[in-house]
Amino acid sequence: MLTVALPKGRIAKETLEIFSKIFGDSFVFDDRKLILQTDKFKFLLVRNQDVATYVYHQAADIGVVGLDTLEEQGLDIIRLLDLRKGVCKVAIGMKKGEKLDLSRPQITVATKMVNITKRYFAERAIAAKIIKLYGSIELAPLVGLADMIVDIVETGTTMKQNGLEVVEEIMESSTYLIANKNSFFEKKSEVLDIYEKIEHIVKNG
Amino acid sequence: MIFEHEIPDNSKLYFLSSAKQKRKIERIAAEILYDNGFEEIVTPLFSYHQHQSILDDRELIRVNDTMNHNMTLRADSTIDVVRIIDKRLGRNTSHKKWFYIQPVFKYPSTEQYQVGAEFIGQSSLPSVMESAVEIMNALGLNPLVQISNMQIPVILTKMFDLTLDDFRHINIEKFLALDIAWLKKLVYLQNIDELDAILDIVPGDIKIELVKMKDLCSGLTCNNVTLSPLYYSKMLYYDELYFRMIDKNHLFASGGRYKNNGLISVGYAIYTDTLIQTLTKD
Repeated sequence: MLTVALPKGRIAKETLEIFSKIFGDSFVFDDRKLILQTDKFKFLLVRNQDVATYVYHQAADIGVVGLDTLEEQGLDIIRLLDLRKGVCKVAIGMKKGEKLDLSRPQITVATKMVNITKRYFAERAIAAKIIKLYGSIELAPLVGLADMIVDIVETGTTMKQNGLEVVEEIMESSTYLIANKNSFFEKKSEVLDIYEKIEHIVKNG
Repeated sequence: MIFEHEIPDNSKLYFLSSAKQKRKIERIAAEILYDNGFEEIVTPLFSYHQHQSILDDRELIRVNDTMNHNMTLRADSTIDVVRIIDKRLGRNTSHKKWFYIQPVFKYPSTEQYQVGAEFIGQSSLPSVMESAVEIMNALGLNPLVQISNMQIPVILTKMFDLTLDDFRHINIEKFLALDIAWLKKLVYLQNIDELDAILDIVPGDIKIELVKMKDLCSGLTCNNVTLSPLYYSKMLYYDELYFRMIDKNHLFASGGRYKNNGLISVGYAIYTDTLIQTLTKD
């Protein structure tokens, strides 16, 4: 029996569709239920940012989560497989027409992803003051709270609608199948069996 | 503001049943280790040499001596035990089997109680590992014993475009993408009875290392064993056979063969805090 942590929303739906394709059963959470128990799996519906935490503490053996979230949290888990879903970019956005000037003595960056941002600027020896925000990041440069933002970009529409544009891409992200390190060794055949089946679907559709 | 009841993050406080459990674990471990021919050593809390064994030196808690030389609090016992026996006590004793019961400290305020055993100048891991199995048995625990060999990832990095980080993070997708039948079998290898079929198809230098894993398994009295030839330890000094004792998400013990200043030794550490947590819960 494997416990699988899924992030609420589209990714959970798409992942359950993959399981349906593999096993031929319907995998659907009952309304507002957070646990879906089947013969072989127990699925948990959690917040996107909590998936890796559930897996790291072995409340779930495996999970599905975005690479950006994994990079931000830096937890010691196994990245099993790139599912090639939820493809997006982590990018720097500035007011339209503004240029990224990294020679300034200090820049102010607003972001949800403090660790990715800190690492990016530290690697380039740039003194960046990072302001942690929890949402509506695009607002920060417009009201003078920050010179730029670091945020997830899928199509770029949200930035565009708020008068911002992407000036630099930091990393590409997509969803990954992850596993707890001890679960991997304790339940290797089960984990690798589901790995193979999911990989087949990802590659062949 | 610090309240009167506060203690630093990740420091340890045991009382009543948990303190009793700690004493019981240490007593049982000491008895078994004495019976197996080990003698006890207590090493200084302060050390000049910890950077040799800690991968990330930011984990060290630094202080200075009277001459302003850098010292750190002990973050790992093994290297200090081996160095002190080899370099300082050489004239006082020729004994090679030592155990310690003492905590280690990591920045900023993490404390970890450990029981460790080292057999200095010995290269055979079963000679010490069996005492760890005995301690687990005496405590009524039956963890999964994971056997690995650090030489295998090192050899594979020389054969393919792989890094040790790929092994630290167990990058299965990258290993399988190489599309090599025997490498795939190493990824899937779990039980000792699957090993013989693999020995016939792997390159010679990998075979030598796999045979060492096989010999280690056959010398052990426990039956709850899994083989993980592609696992790479985060510790700097383990360089060959290596084992972890795990139970659910807990690491009960780990150890292996290591080299210090050219001297090959074997040893392990038991993580007392994890055992206390597990045994107190049960």
